[in-house]
Amino acid sequence: MSIILNRRRVVITGLSVVSPLGNTIADLTQNIFSGVSGIKLLDADFVDKLDCKIAAQAHFDPADHFSKHTYGMLDRTSQMALQTSIEAIKDANLEITDQLKPRMGVYLGTGMGGANSVEEAYIRLYRDNASRLKPFTVLMGMNNAAAAAIGLEHQLTGPNLTFSTACSSSSVAIGEASRQIRHGYADVMLAGGSESLLTFGTIKAWEALRTLAEQDVNDLTSSCKPFSADRTGMVLGEGAAMMVLESYEHAIARGATIYAEILGYGSASDSAHITKPSIDGQAITIQTAILDADIPSEAIQYINAHGTGTMLNDVTESNAIKKAFGDHAYNLSISSTKSMHGHLMGATGALEAIITTLAVYNNKLPPTINLSNPDPECDLDYVPNVAKTLPRLNYAMSNSFAFGGTGASLVFKKIN
Amino acid sequence: MTTPTLDEVAQALSQMVADKMDIDVASIKADSSLQSLGLDSLDTFDLIFSAEDHFKIKVPNDQIKIETLHDVSVLVHKLTIEQNK
Repeated sequence: MSIILNRRRVVITGLSVVSPLGNTIADLTQNIFSGVSGIKLLDADFVDKLDCKIAAQAHFDPADHFSKHTYGMLDRTSQMALQTSIEAIKDANLEITDQLKPRMGVYLGTGMGGANSVEEAYIRLYRDNASRLKPFTVLMGMNNAAAAAIGLEHQLTGPNLTFSTACSSSSVAIGEASRQIRHGYADVMLAGGSESLLTFGTIKAWEALRTLAEQDVNDLTSSCKPFSADRTGMVLGEGAAMMVLESYEHAIARGATIYAEILGYGSASDSAHITKPSIDGQAITIQTAILDADIPSEAIQYINAHGTGTMLNDVTESNAIKKAFGDHAYNLSISSTKSMHGHLMGATGALEAIITTLAVYNNKLPPTINLSNPDPECDLDYVPNVAKTLPRLNYAMSNSFAFGGTGASLVFKKIN
Repeated sequence: MTTPTLDEVAQALSQMVADKMDIDVASIKADSSLQSLGLDSLDTFDLIFSAEDHFKIKVPNDQIKIETLHDVSVLVHKLTIEQNK
């Protein structure tokens, strides 16, 4: 029997975020459709030593959610991931029975894992000349720490994998998780991403790549300007985003509320350059997802773009969309919500997948804010500055591309 | 540094356990097993690490054979005498 014949439908029944636009789905919904920016002056004691002093921070205090014993052995990345896993399960109204545990897994994306813990350890070692490090250093720094913490918390014994493909990590995690359910290896998956890399060392490393946005002197919150002629780069963000995915049958049997269906997933590689995106690679990623969804490309009405706000990405992505969709590219609506929540790196795909899900659920398209000076090379409809409401949003896509070249596109469908 | 008494070591270790495990220091008894206080093997390593920092000692790996808080106190007290000579 072919894999296609074995195909089960995969639906989204739980959502949760810790994000620069709020830590509840209600706040996120309100903010993304109102065009609110979460970009501000970075609240950190080293901010004066930075060239780029802005970031999209999440307002998250682990002490509000966990005991000191619990959060003390987790990096901020894991703390945020764990919190979103708990809230996503609550949102899904899902009871994790002993029967379900081996059929439920965790797929998580993160770019730099426990970056805070690793940097703190190096500070102790190299700056303070410490002769030894804390016993939890390895366990806090390892890339799979967050997924492991989630599995332990909910006692899930299904598959538990961490995906690290830079900026596309959590889109890959969601796509691969959907395949676990689709092909019968799991009934329910927690899928998402988490990232907290607003450390001195990491920001300095990003500054050196010359991809970070210059501060808008008139309004710091408007510094990220995807698809605008005066865009200057991306703004780093942090947060976590988690979905509960389950088979359609499982969701219906327990009477779950369904936000949307994950209809397709495609992943492809640029294999062209470590940082420079390729039109072909991105177009293949998009086309692969549409093939997987088994719908005509003209069915797609909205794309949540990768839209980083760098000169190169936004033109390349626009051209890739034209290549993948042909004339339909001009009928689509596209937005970069990074203009509001910044670039959450390994968590950004999951946050944008949730935003795309909310778009489908609400028949509403979030805007690209700070788009007042259109770039002639970016000549598609980017939903400038103000959200748009559609009579019905049936099919939407979320794109993620990455340093290293791994792209991922997800196709979402409204549930009838 | 004045060598602390066994009682002083025990009090300091109780406070460390209370801080790490988020429990009331008054609920900790000297002969409590580490397991009953909620410490697993990793938590025990972390407690030893903090004790090493606090008392400026080094606990050799082959000496970490401890079950109760009292065992830790005795070990740490012994090492403070040996290593602060």
